[in-house]
Amino acid sequence: MKLGNLIIAGIVTGSIYAAFAACVALWYRVSNILNLAVGDFAMMGALGVDDLVRVKHWAIAPAILVMLAAVAVGAYVYDRVVLGLAQDGRTRQEGIVVTFFFTFALSFFLEGLAEVLYGTDVHAAPDLWAGPSLNVFASGLHIERAGVLVVGFAAVVGLALAVFMRRTLRGKAVEACGENYLGARIVGIDNRQYRRLLFVLSAVLAAVFGILESPITGYTFNSGASISLTGFLAAAFAGFQKPGKAVVAGLSIGLLEAILGGYVSAQYGDTLLYAILAAAVLIRPSAMGLDVALD
Amino acid sequence: MSAGVVLVAGIIIAGFFSASYFASVVILALTYAIVTAGMAVQIGFSQQVVFSQSVFMGFGAYGVAVLNANVGIPSLLAAVIITPASGIVAFVIGKAVSKASGLALAVATLMFPLIGFGYLSYANWLGGSIGMPLTGNLWPGGSSSVANGLLTVGIVTLVVYATTRLVASDVGLEMYVLGVNERTAAAMGVRTARRKLELFILGSMLASLGGAVYAGTQLFVPPTLVQATSELSLLIMVFIGGRRSVVGAVLGAVAIEYFSGISNFVSIHILLIEGVLITVVLLIEPEGLAGIANRVWRVASASLWRQRGEASLAPAPPTAEQAPAPVSEPEVSAFRRHIAERQAASGSLPSNLLECSEIDKEYGGMRVLSAVDLTLPHHGIFGLCGPNGAGKTTLLNVIGGSVAPSAGRVLLNGADITGLRPESRFRLGVSRTFQAVHLIPGRTVIDNVAVACLASHESTLVRGIVANRLVEAREQAMQALEYLGMHDLADREVASLTLETQRMVELARAMAARPALLLLDEPASGLSTPQREHLKEVLHSIGEFTCVLLVEHDLALVAAVAEKIFVLSSGALVFDGSADEFRSSELVSSLLIGV
Repeated sequence: MKLGNLIIAGIVTGSIYAAFAACVALWYRVSNILNLAVGDFAMMGALGVDDLVRVKHWAIAPAILVMLAAVAVGAYVYDRVVLGLAQDGRTRQEGIVVTFFFTFALSFFLEGLAEVLYGTDVHAAPDLWAGPSLNVFASGLHIERAGVLVVGFAAVVGLALAVFMRRTLRGKAVEACGENYLGARIVGIDNRQYRRLLFVLSAVLAAVFGILESPITGYTFNSGASISLTGFLAAAFAGFQKPGKAVVAGLSIGLLEAILGGYVSAQYGDTLLYAILAAAVLIRPSAMGLDVALD
Repeated sequence: MSAGVVLVAGIIIAGFFSASYFASVVILALTYAIVTAGMAVQIGFSQQVVFSQSVFMGFGAYGVAVLNANVGIPSLLAAVIITPASGIVAFVIGKAVSKASGLALAVATLMFPLIGFGYLSYANWLGGSIGMPLTGNLWPGGSSSVANGLLTVGIVTLVVYATTRLVASDVGLEMYVLGVNERTAAAMGVRTARRKLELFILGSMLASLGGAVYAGTQLFVPPTLVQATSELSLLIMVFIGGRRSVVGAVLGAVAIEYFSGISNFVSIHILLIEGVLITVVLLIEPEGLAGIANRVWRVASASLWRQRGEASLAPAPPTAEQAPAPVSEPEVSAFRRHIAERQAASGSLPSNLLECSEIDKEYGGMRVLSAVDLTLPHHGIFGLCGPNGAGKTTLLNVIGGSVAPSAGRVLLNGADITGLRPESRFRLGVSRTFQAVHLIPGRTVIDNVAVACLASHESTLVRGIVANRLVEAREQAMQALEYLGMHDLADREVASLTLETQRMVELARAMAARPALLLLDEPASGLSTPQREHLKEVLHSIGEFTCVLLVEHDLALVAAVAEKIFVLSSGALVFDGSADEFRSSELVSSLLIGV
C-alpha cells in the first residue's frame, strides 16, 4: 500500500519534472540555449493567478487567461528585446556560457519581480478540481485531484510535442535550427521566428503546469529556480535533445525521489537523489549524451 | 599594479571607517572577492565551467566554525588548516570529475550545491537550518575590527597579486588556450587533464579561503551560503565585473556586495537589479565592466595620440602582410643548429624518423585506413595526396596522436609512440597544423606562436605565479616569426589578419617548437597563386632540416616541393614515388585528375 502510494506520488512529481524537462529540451532544440527561467514562468503563473483570485477577487477562468496572456507577452517582449539583441544583433554573442547567462538573469529578474509583487509567503493557485483526494478503485491508493490534472496535462502535451517533432515539417524545421544556425537560414527557415514561437510556447506551458501543480506543493517567489533545475537535470539526461527522452528521465527522477523519500530517509531523500544523479553524470557522461563541449 | 591599488584602497577604507557599519560591508564584499578572483581564473579565463564554488566556500566557512567553536582553535589558525585541506578534498573530487568536461562537468557540479544545502539543512552538529556561531575573530588579538579588516585586505591583495601573475604567465597562456580549444592545446603539448585538475583545485581552494574569511569576520555561518542561488549570485558578480579579468571579478563582487550593504533599496530589490544589470552589461560587452573600461581606455588613448599628432595606434594596413618573406641566413642557421644539437645529443639515430606499419582504422565497421605502411627519413618534404575521403587527414591524425589506430604501430626514432597522447608526441618533436585554421582569438600573433614554445608543460600553476617564463617563450616565438619574415606582425591580434597570414602564423607556431616531424594539413587551401609561391619557398627552406609530411590538394605545389609523394585511395597506399614518377603515372592521373 505504501509503495503504491509512493509510486503515485512519484508519477505526479515525475510528470512535473518531465513537463519542465520537455520545455527546456524543446527550446534547446531550436536555440541551443538552456532556459533556466522555465520554472520562474511556472511560479509567475501560479502566484499571479492566486493574487488575482484571492486578493483581487477575480473569477478563476479570467484570472488564468489574463496570467497566461501576461506570461506570453512577457516572454515575447523578452525575446524581441534581449534575445533579439544578443542573438540577432550585429555581434552574435558567442558560446553557450554567455547566452546561458541571459536566462539566469531572466530568472533573477522574475524572482525579484515576484518578490516585490507577491511578497515572500507560500501561495498556490486555487484548486481547479476541488475535493478530497481520489481513492483509486476503492483500493486505499490515493491520488490528489490536482495530481490527476497534472499527469493528464503532461501526457497530452508530451504526446502533442512528440507528434509535432516527428511528424510535421515544422518539427523538422525546429530540429534544423538547432543543428545548424546558418544552414537552417540558408534553406529558408527563419530560425528567429521559431525560436520566438517556442520560447513563448514553453513559457506558457510552464505557467499552465505551475497553475495546475501549485495546489499540491505551494510556491514562493523563489520556487522557480529549483523547478528549473530539476527540469534542467532531467533534460540533461536526455542530452537536451529529445523532448520524449526528457519526459522518461523526468518521470524516473520523480519516482526515484518518492521512493528514496519514503523508504530511505525523509530528510535526506532529495540530497541522496542529487548525489545519485551527479554520480550518474560523472560515471557515464557519454550515455547521457553529455560528452559535448559547452561551446 | 592592480594588487597595489587594492591594497592601498583597502587600507584607507579599513583605517578611516574602522568602527563603522561601512567597514563591515567592505569586509564582506572583500570576502566574496576572494572567491570571485578564483572563479575569474577558472571559469572565465580558462573556461572550465563548474558550479561547485559555493560548496567549497561552505567547506571553508563550516570548517573554520567547527575548528573554532568545537575544538577551540583560533579562527586564523583554523583558516590556515582548512585551506590546504580543501585543496585535498578538491583533488579527490577533481579526480572524479576530471573525466567529464564541458556540459557534463557543468551539470554534475550543478548538483553539488543542491547536495550541500540538502545535507547542511538537517545536519544538527553544524547547526542545522539555522547555522553555526563562532567564538573567535579571524584576528587572534581580540575583537578589533581594524585588525580584522586589515587582515582581510591583506589576503585579498595577495590573492589578486597571485592570480593576476598567474594569468599573465606562460602557464596562464596554456590555460587560456585550453579554454579556447582543448584539441589545439593538446596538439601544442599542453597537458590538458592535469591543467584542468589544477584549475579545479585552485578555484576550490580560493573559494574555501573566502569561506574561511567569511566565518572569521561574520562570526556566523548559515547553510544558505551553500545553495544554487548563492552559486548563481557568485557567477553574476564574476560576469558583471568581467569574466576573464581578475580585477574585474573582484570589482564585480565588491560593487554588488557594497551597494546591497549600504542601500536598503538595493538589498530588497537585489534580484531585480542583478537580473537587469547582468542583462544590460552582457548586451553591451560580454567581457563585463572590465571589458567596457578597456574599450573606453582604448578609445580615449587613441584620441589622445591623435591630438598629439603622433603615429596612430591603428593596426598597420593589410598590405604590410603580403610582403614575401626573405628567409634570412642567421635565423636559418639557428634552427639548423638546434636540430644538429638534438641529433648529436640523442646519439646514433635510426635511419628513419617515422615508421608507420600496418595501420588500420575503422569507424564502426567503415574501414578508413587499411594496412598503411609509411616510412619517412629525418629531413625532406613528402607529399600525401588522394581523392576526398581517401583517409589523408585520418592518417595525419594517427601520426599526430589525436586518433588511435584500430591496428598497427607508429614508431618515432625507433620508439613505439602508438599509445601516446598528442601532447606527449608534441614534446617528442611531432608538430602539426590543422585543415581549418586553429588559432587562439583574442591573443596576439606572438602569443599564438609562443604557445608552442612553452617550457611550462611539466610545471604546476604555482610555478606560473613565482616565475613567469613567458618572455623566453616569446623570444623563441619571435625567432620563428623572423625566420618566416613575419616579425612585423608580432603584436597584431590574430583575428585581424587575412587567411594567408593566419595560415602562416599557424605554420610559424608549428615550426617554433623546432619539430623533427612537421605535419601540414592543406596549408595552401584558400591561398592565391602568389601566396602559394611564397609558401613553396618557405617549405623548401624548412625541408632542408626538418621532415615535412604535406597533405595537399594542389598537385602542382606538391610535385614542385616534395621529393617523394604517397597516394592514398580508399584507405590504401596505392602509389609512392618521386615527383617525376608522380607526374607520369597513369594511376595517379586517373585517381586524382580523372583522366
